[in-house]
Amino acid sequence: MNKGFKIFAKPYIVWLALLAILPMFVMIVLAFMYSEGLSFEEAYFTFFQFQMLGEYSILTAFFNSFLYATITTVISLVLGYFVAYNVHKSKFKNKFLILTILILPMWSNLLLRIEALGNLMEPNNIITQWLNINGDLSIKGTMPAVIIGLVLTYMPFMILSVYTALEKIDYSLEEAALDLGLTPMQKFWKVIFPLSLKGVATGSILVFLPSMSGFAIPEFLGSGNILLIGNVIEAAFRNMDYNLGSLLSVILLFVILGALIIVSKVDKEGETLL
Amino acid sequence: MEKKVIIELNHITKSFDDEVVVDDLNLTIYENEFITLLGPSGCGKTTTLRMIGGFVDVDQGEVVINGKIMNDLPPYARPINTVFQKYALFPHLNVYENVAFGLRNKSDDYLVDFFHLEKAEPKVLKKQIQEKIDTAVKDALRLVKLSGFENRKINQISGGQAQRVALARAIINRPKILLLDEPLAALDLKLRQNMQYELKEMQKKLGITFIFVTHDQEEAMTMSDRIVVMKDGVIQQLGTPKDIYNEPVNRYVATFIGETNIIPGVYLKKNLVHFMGTDFECTGYTFNDNEEVDVVIRPEDFDVVDIKDAKLVGKVTESIFKGVHNELTVDFSGTELFINTYESYNVGDSLGIKVDPYEIHLMRVEGHE
Repeated sequence: MNKGFKIFAKPYIVWLALLAILPMFVMIVLAFMYSEGLSFEEAYFTFFQFQMLGEYSILTAFFNSFLYATITTVISLVLGYFVAYNVHKSKFKNKFLILTILILPMWSNLLLRIEALGNLMEPNNIITQWLNINGDLSIKGTMPAVIIGLVLTYMPFMILSVYTALEKIDYSLEEAALDLGLTPMQKFWKVIFPLSLKGVATGSILVFLPSMSGFAIPEFLGSGNILLIGNVIEAAFRNMDYNLGSLLSVILLFVILGALIIVSKVDKEGETLL
Repeated sequence: MEKKVIIELNHITKSFDDEVVVDDLNLTIYENEFITLLGPSGCGKTTTLRMIGGFVDVDQGEVVINGKIMNDLPPYARPINTVFQKYALFPHLNVYENVAFGLRNKSDDYLVDFFHLEKAEPKVLKKQIQEKIDTAVKDALRLVKLSGFENRKINQISGGQAQRVALARAIINRPKILLLDEPLAALDLKLRQNMQYELKEMQKKLGITFIFVTHDQEEAMTMSDRIVVMKDGVIQQLGTPKDIYNEPVNRYVATFIGETNIIPGVYLKKNLVHFMGTDFECTGYTFNDNEEVDVVIRPEDFDVVDIKDAKLVGKVTESIFKGVHNELTVDFSGTELFINTYESYNVGDSLGIKVDPYEIHLMRVEGHE
């Protein structure tokens, strides 16, 4: 029985080795090389790429990534927590249905959604057409546009994480808090919020990491005005500069790894990442 | 000594989804008493407790605490604390912080009154309050014999210890009334028995009114000053453990409170009752002559005697050794009785019994009221 299961696990292990682990090593090697794309004929080892890190555009891109990801996470946290809390508190019997509706947009393709959102941010869009308004309300290519896109895309992760954490809180703890003389407001800050922190942490990571590393949303909604690190990496690979692209990817990978290590230190039982 | 009323429940009724859980219940609870709501699950005892605590709204009737109607008061405004069935300790706080929780979240004004502090500079006062809370937490933990456990996490203590923490967390607030919702149900037998005595001792020491909910009649007997036996949201009988054990008002109470024999009989005339084909002397009951009655005799109240002196003779059909005594099932030409005796008998042995008049309890037959 167990042996059978082991055999079925093998295809994925091979897949993982070929398409994730091996490329990662190639990427690390490429980061220390100069090569023409992937042809190694005239390749040689160099630290040339590391000098590029000091470039203004790359530093700005890193800074922007952190800034945008942080803003997105904070907005998602505040808004997402309210949504999760209200769904959790609602007397509605089929809470799962509400959550499904919230996640529903995620079932359509990300690029399509972003394109559609981008259209709404154009001077002439479907709404101005219907309502027959003229007047430039377009925000495409600005910071708010990108933030709106990031929040709309990643907030469901926050809602789900926080909601799961809230559902895990035993109702009798809330009764105990009231019993011990806490007002409903005190109860929230002293009992419910601290106990939902793990969900907040999970949600924040799930929002922060893709916001920081993604490139599609700033590409479409930023109209080229806004450069995040994901865009720089994408551009590097597109321009066959595999070495710089690899180096930046590896750095990003370490940032993500670092975040996960911090989380696992804080949360020893590993509940957060489940 | 005049007893002071602390809680009055006047005609309280509660339904969940058209199902009446508590039906027109009246109950008066006095200061410093240990009162137990006893009944099987679904009898409305926990709902009654939760209505006193303010966790469940009352549909009809009044909950009067300390002379004030408290129907609409939320739990945090009532002079009551609760020990919950599963303790409901806060998992993000350690033992110390769990116990301190109630006091920590009170306003400074409240705490100045609570600790009888003199007026002083706010800074000085704050420090005094902190010290007082610290002392109170340590005292409470000492009372429940958990000194030294201050820094333990909640998942690092046993069920018995969690139970004590829950108790300390409640009594540190010096409530007038402590509600206990089957707090011993999750403990093993030995621990449960210890806690029963400790709870009773604590209640006497603290002078708090304890309202205890349980389905365990033995627990109720051991601790209570008075027991309320409930069924289907209605009080069946209210009295001291002795009253309820010896003088059950009906078949339900008689069978719920311990093992017993209920035999149909006829009340012939004053102090004479006929059952199992024999006339027995009885004492202290007044029914109509020749009225049908239920006769209740506890298994330990039979006197096992020589066959020649016996009023009834039967055959042992089952014998179980229980340590101190033997539990016998004895067949008296068709009627089976449970009899406890210190002598050991084998299945098939003949057995003669006698019953003293004061051990015979008579109840009105249900449905004949």
